[in-house]
Amino acid sequence: MKNMVTTFAAISIGSYELEMKIFELSPKNGIREVDRISHVIELGRDTYNKDKISFEMVDKLCDILYDFSRIMKGYKVKAYRACATSAIREAVNSKNVLDRVKVRTGLDVNLLSNSEQRFISYKAFSMKDQVADQAMKECTLLVDIGAGSAQITLFDKGNLITTQNIRLGVLRIRELLARLAQNADKYKGILEEYIDNDLETFTKIFLENYKVSNIVGTGENLSYVNFAQGEKPYVTKKEFTKIYEQLIGNSEEELADKLDIPQTHASLVAPSLMLFARLFSFTDAGKLWTPDVKLCDGLVVDYAQKNRLIKLKHDFNEDILSATRQIASRYRCNEAHTQFVEKTALGIFDAIKKLHGLGERERLILQLAAIMHDSGKFVSLMYPSEAGYDIIMASEIIGLSHEERQTVAKIIKYNAKDFDYREMSLTESKLTAILRLANALDRSHRQKMKDIKVTLDGNELVIMTSTYEDITLEYGLFKEKTELFEEIYGVKPVLRQHKISR
Amino acid sequence: MEYSNADNFINRELSWMEFNSRVLGEARDKSIPLFERLKFLSITASNLDEFVMIRVASLKDMVNAGYSKKDIAGLTPKQQLEAIGAKEHEFVNQQYSTLNRSLLPLLEKNHLTLIRNFEELDEKQSEFVDQYFMNEIYPVLTPMAVDSSRPFPLIRNKTLNLASLMRKKNGDKELEFATVQVPSVLPRVVEIPSGTEGQRTIILLEEIIEKNIQKLYLNYNVISTHPYRIMRNADFEIDEEEVADLLQEIQRQIKKRQWGEAIKLEVQDNMDKRLLKILKKNLRIDDNDIYSINGPLDLTFLMKVYGLDGFEHLKHAKYVPQELLQLENDADIFEQIRNSDILLHHPYDSFDPVVDFVRQAAKDDKVLAIKQTLYRVSGNSPIIASLAEAAERGKQVTVLVELKARFDEENNIIWAKKLEKAGCHVIYGLMGLKTHCKITLVVRREDDGIRRYVHLGTGNYNDSTAKLYTDLGLLTCANQIGEDATAVFNMISGYSEPIRWNKLALAPLWLRNKFLKLIDREIGHAVNGETAYVIAKMNSLCDKTIIEKLYEASGKGVKIELIVRGICCLKPGVPGLSDNISVRSIVGNFLEHARIFYFENGGSSEIYMGSADWMPRNLDKRVEILFPVEDEKLKEQVLHVLNVQLADNEKAHIMQADGSYEKPDRRGRKESINAQEIFCEETIKRNQVTGRKRKTRTFKPRTSN
Repeated sequence: MKNMVTTFAAISIGSYELEMKIFELSPKNGIREVDRISHVIELGRDTYNKDKISFEMVDKLCDILYDFSRIMKGYKVKAYRACATSAIREAVNSKNVLDRVKVRTGLDVNLLSNSEQRFISYKAFSMKDQVADQAMKECTLLVDIGAGSAQITLFDKGNLITTQNIRLGVLRIRELLARLAQNADKYKGILEEYIDNDLETFTKIFLENYKVSNIVGTGENLSYVNFAQGEKPYVTKKEFTKIYEQLIGNSEEELADKLDIPQTHASLVAPSLMLFARLFSFTDAGKLWTPDVKLCDGLVVDYAQKNRLIKLKHDFNEDILSATRQIASRYRCNEAHTQFVEKTALGIFDAIKKLHGLGERERLILQLAAIMHDSGKFVSLMYPSEAGYDIIMASEIIGLSHEERQTVAKIIKYNAKDFDYREMSLTESKLTAILRLANALDRSHRQKMKDIKVTLDGNELVIMTSTYEDITLEYGLFKEKTELFEEIYGVKPVLRQHKISR
Repeated sequence: MEYSNADNFINRELSWMEFNSRVLGEARDKSIPLFERLKFLSITASNLDEFVMIRVASLKDMVNAGYSKKDIAGLTPKQQLEAIGAKEHEFVNQQYSTLNRSLLPLLEKNHLTLIRNFEELDEKQSEFVDQYFMNEIYPVLTPMAVDSSRPFPLIRNKTLNLASLMRKKNGDKELEFATVQVPSVLPRVVEIPSGTEGQRTIILLEEIIEKNIQKLYLNYNVISTHPYRIMRNADFEIDEEEVADLLQEIQRQIKKRQWGEAIKLEVQDNMDKRLLKILKKNLRIDDNDIYSINGPLDLTFLMKVYGLDGFEHLKHAKYVPQELLQLENDADIFEQIRNSDILLHHPYDSFDPVVDFVRQAAKDDKVLAIKQTLYRVSGNSPIIASLAEAAERGKQVTVLVELKARFDEENNIIWAKKLEKAGCHVIYGLMGLKTHCKITLVVRREDDGIRRYVHLGTGNYNDSTAKLYTDLGLLTCANQIGEDATAVFNMISGYSEPIRWNKLALAPLWLRNKFLKLIDREIGHAVNGETAYVIAKMNSLCDKTIIEKLYEASGKGVKIELIVRGICCLKPGVPGLSDNISVRSIVGNFLEHARIFYFENGGSSEIYMGSADWMPRNLDKRVEILFPVEDEKLKEQVLHVLNVQLADNEKAHIMQADGSYEKPDRRGRKESINAQEIFCEETIKRNQVTGRKRKTRTFKPRTSN
């Protein structure tokens, strides 16, 4: 068929709202939103106050999701993706909740890790050409405000520098402060103090060397405040301050009235307004952009991309690599050594494609592990493996799923430690073996073999170098470090120094 | 300027009574065919019944509850009741003088005799009615006597009854009371053989029963018999929060409606005083609420007289609603809508396209879903049948059936159950709100994706009333309206409001503000020295906020022309208050029902139509939709409708500053303009002109030139 139209449903189970969007995708028209159905249900309230989601709430959740699935069928959707975020993720009974949903509604719900969730929103954001192109040229803070936490990502000239999750979610703040603040004036003060605490640390550590000029705000409840006036897609700091001052002193009722939105949403506006106000005061940013981006929009972009229905202009792998390099440099990894290992590991990976049968994504994971493999030493020279593992697990890398991040961390851990088959998945052990081999080739950290060529020759993996330097150290330890490779691939790595007379 | 002053407003009940007087005016208008005048008189009677059952009843409730808040015109409920009572007595007198002095003599002249009293019957006729009594009436009568062992029976709301005083035949001196309901299952008007050639004769059912009343009470001597009729408080309020099953509760309340407090008693003016006393005592009714009437009770029987065959020459020629040419001959309605938006002006244009829209959607394989709101549906509605069919074909059908549509509750429950059985997703209205908007959404999956077709209207999806009510409807597949329509149904289904609306404005959340903003914008233009002009047509205007805004606009120089059929609490043409506002009411053969709003907007005019009047109940308590007409050609058509109505000098009544109405002064301008007739003519002409192009099925004989 010439113009295949695919119908896709995206469901987001958020902390205070269930939302389903029905999309049409076609190569000709791209992505088109056909319907949006949302229902306020404050799951996060249960989770943030009681650590688990109550029976009644699950019942209500199932009722609505069942109705969603009915509507989905009405549209004859081809595929759907339903995702749950922090409200369910942080609930101790999350598994049971999702099981109940499956049994009662037939819907499979993905539990998104924070970084997956952010990455999906980020994908949706990258589709907003105007903002993505203009703001990203400069130094920009992307602030994705969720119910449980906010994700702040720093971009400089298109490169992702760092991304941090801070526990400044709007619902969390509201629930926390509702008990403390009796009146609106006092509320403002407490809110400010609370936010500043986290923001100050963040700016000190991460923003020291950057002059931020834009703030881009995304998040579920931002769509309810119409910041931008007229044609331009952003508000200046001055304009924002004016809006902020008009709104911030209001009670929830007044706010609902002024913004013409339901009170449930109004109650969440104040924390996000305050967050922006404080970010303006902590940075030199002059503009605030608020593209309308919701998780559902990201889910459809993700689906479309995976099914090759659209092509994204933005290279997300570059973001991942750039963020990872930032982490490596934060932990003072030896740059030259890292580069060598990265290049060599990838060379080996490419040479033995037939043997491992892994794909692009695994190649990227290997690359990330190579970049960060030395980071543990910053913390402890005695236990670099464990420290490395912990560092990776504590660093958010937008674009990596939780599982992928763990894979990277494990590879790094077992790069130096005694290997334990029972701990590792097949992919993990395959990649670990490659990294170990690559690392062994620069034992001295002096990059003696810059010209390595790797070829597979029968039962041997021939590593050829024509360096003139003395590689005795590498030779000596080669056997010990390559045992694992041999075990896993059934191929013997052989190091050959082939000196060419000049 | 203090606009909220009570002097600036007219009480809505009194204004409503003015409206009913205008309808009565039609009954008194000698230029109107006799039978049409009967119809109008009948309408005034049924209007008044409803008014008493709902409005008067609710005022009485307020007085009983000690509630004394003043209305916008500064009257307490008690004062309002007094004013209404006085006006109502006067009104009823007018009704009967119209009947007795004009209409009945004219009927007689036109060869139809109404026997006022059974004693006027000749021998042959007497025999006929007695026979008729025994065969048809007697079997369904249930006479009820009152004595020490039998309490005063419950007399049902709006029923006609005959009360009798009688004495036992065994010589007992004591007077006893009995009553019998005139059965509503039998025709009220009975045609009997006529004594004179060329004359036809009718008699009312109650007269026949009265003549034979002795046959009901064989052991008694009946002393006197007189008809009476009562009205009861029929308004019910349901505490929805407390009710688990609205459906059941409404069914229960409908039964209860029969037994509400008696608030009005109608008797003939020659009623036996002793009988009246008994009724008064047992029904606990005030003197003020007793109407002594010189003539037959319950004038709605005149509608039956109107229906008699053989008097077509005394009626208006029947107008046949015209088809839209592009929709004829089983045209694909979706294709036609894709070509351009379609405007329907009922009853001049036929309602068939709307029925067809749903019917074709039900059968179309590409249609995924049909969603519709139903408020008042006709009996045997083809729309209901189509919706059920669609559901049976596996389409998603969502129907909102408004159970709370007054006096249609019972009817609507039946349809709702039928639809549910067929597999439709039926929503029984919304908590605390009446869903009054008229919208249909058809979701269709076409080759290039989903396309939504929407019908928006000012009138109900009722193919019967669409022949009598003037309404406008729009069929469109504009994407922005489609998106909004989807959002409307999502909201009605209990989901959150959309982040923003493209084109539609909804009550109760946004509509009032939308109107205020539109008027404010005109004020802005006026202040800038540009022309500022509002034309608004609706059924009733009594929203205080909007009236105050109109006064403000008038003060700033906005020209405001209002076409308000019924209640109008605004005072037009008051110096210093509403100099620039005029109000006219059109009461014609068809019931004016459309709501149209025109805003000049400094030259780039905007026209909206919708389901809402400018009444608090529409703006605060109902789901209503206001939609724009954007196609330039259609805008012209709608503006034409307004302009012709503004030019009407035959059926229009001009409201005066004191709230009374006068016919326009036609001196110096002989041409008579009747908007409804003009629309009929224009529509027929339109079809004649373009109609020639249509393919005919006639053979074309060749001739030799």
